[in-house]
Amino acid sequence: MSSAASSVLLAVIVTLVKGILIVVVLATGFAYMTFAERKISARIQLRYGPNRVGPFGLLQPAADGVKLFLKEKAAPDGRDNFLYLLAPALAAAAALFAFSAIPINQTICIGGTNGAGPLSAACPGGYPLHWDLADLNVGLLFILAITSLGIYSIFLGGWASNSKYSLLGALRSSAQLISYEMAVSFALIGPVLLAGSLNLETVVNQQHSLWFVFLQPMGFLLYFTGALAETNRLPFDLPEAESELVAGYHTEYSGMRFGLFFMAEYINMITVCSIATVMFLGGWMAPFFFLPNWLGPIWFGAKVGLLIFILMWVRWTFPRLRYDRLMQFGWKVLLPLGLVNLLVTSFFVALH
Amino acid sequence: MTVIFGIAAVLAFLGALGVVLSQRTLYSALSLVLNMVSLAVLFLLLDAQFLAAVQIIVYAGAVMVLFVFIIALLSPGAEERVRPLELRMLLGGVAAVVFTVVIGRLTLNGITVGPGGRFHGGIGPFAPTVVNAHGQVQTVGEQLFTTYLLPFEVTSLLLLVAAVGAVYLSKRRRLVA
Repeated sequence: MSSAASSVLLAVIVTLVKGILIVVVLATGFAYMTFAERKISARIQLRYGPNRVGPFGLLQPAADGVKLFLKEKAAPDGRDNFLYLLAPALAAAAALFAFSAIPINQTICIGGTNGAGPLSAACPGGYPLHWDLADLNVGLLFILAITSLGIYSIFLGGWASNSKYSLLGALRSSAQLISYEMAVSFALIGPVLLAGSLNLETVVNQQHSLWFVFLQPMGFLLYFTGALAETNRLPFDLPEAESELVAGYHTEYSGMRFGLFFMAEYINMITVCSIATVMFLGGWMAPFFFLPNWLGPIWFGAKVGLLIFILMWVRWTFPRLRYDRLMQFGWKVLLPLGLVNLLVTSFFVALH
Repeated sequence: MTVIFGIAAVLAFLGALGVVLSQRTLYSALSLVLNMVSLAVLFLLLDAQFLAAVQIIVYAGAVMVLFVFIIALLSPGAEERVRPLELRMLLGGVAAVVFTVVIGRLTLNGITVGPGGRFHGGIGPFAPTVVNAHGQVQTVGEQLFTTYLLPFEVTSLLLLVAAVGAVYLSKRRRLVA
């Protein structure tokens, strides 16, 4: 076999392995996030939460999975069958796909001499192992693009169900996602300006002396608030407000079709928290200087886990906003603040 | 690469056909989304990652979401077929042929036949190696604010006019009511 063909084969194998790993890890993460959510909500409401299946209820997600697979797949009359079936698949695919550009560790050079210094990505004579599926020049834009496609799944699911609750939930959701996407993008431009790159690995490497959350506290708060809305979490969960809309856009879905929507929501939470970690919290860097940096993925996981915990904490602590207040908050508070933050950041970057 | 190009090209073509031939408006709009995403894949194959991301964010993620939104809200019925060989269809056909010939001729200008009878694109000032060395966003940004400043400003004026128009229309309706 020629060396060109074998390097192509190696790239294909590595990509496949990474892809399977991402799907397995995200799916497991989803299962245990539902468990964590139920346990945390129980703690906050002075209950026990699930504690019957396995030790401490740890096997509860497996039981839930079996239940979802075995449930009858009821579907409404008058639905648009093609779009009705397409929507949940699209939701899960977009959620899994978005994660592919997130680096969870520094590129490791196997069998070659590492480039000069920790900031160099060069790896002459060896095989550079990237810790993301696609090391893109414009990784951040790619993730934003894929998550913006996720709107279609929510909207089409709600529309194709032929139900007024679903349609109202879908309309609310689309309007909300489009509005908050602006604020979220503006909040992310701050770190991009500081790092001078859209490549996520470069952004993390630029934070080796100081995490961007200390330079961009405002940007971080704006992003995190916007992220709550982007993932349809309380206090911004109007698209599925159960007191008004039964369950919003996935009212008419049951069994694993609902499960896919549910999975997409939780994986989107992981993705959103990973972006926050990469852009503001120094990605895989150790939280304190005396801790070893080679534990990269562990630090990354710990930071993402902490953010996810805060997301859940917020959900069970705050009441829901009214819909018009939600839109006003997005357009009249978050967006102007994001613009001011961007202006100040550009000013200092230009001075520097 | 060739396989991916084939799949993306066929999907782009099917999407374009679907826009025109689909009886239901929502499916037409969704076919356009398919076409745009396939074009983004073609951009990726040309090593233009920035253009691919922008293509999806702007067209598929923003413009078409609003289109789909409006279509689903108004929920129009199935499209009525126009009678064949009406004058406007004839004019449309002529325009399509003329544009295809013009764009095809322009595209062929950049293509040369390399060794072994293979077709190659001409190497312009913005070949992937040059653009990647400088940074894709940097190159597009610099060109936009130097060489193409006038079109850029004219476009922003156009968007301003559209925004003012939208505000005026919505306000007028409220005054009438």
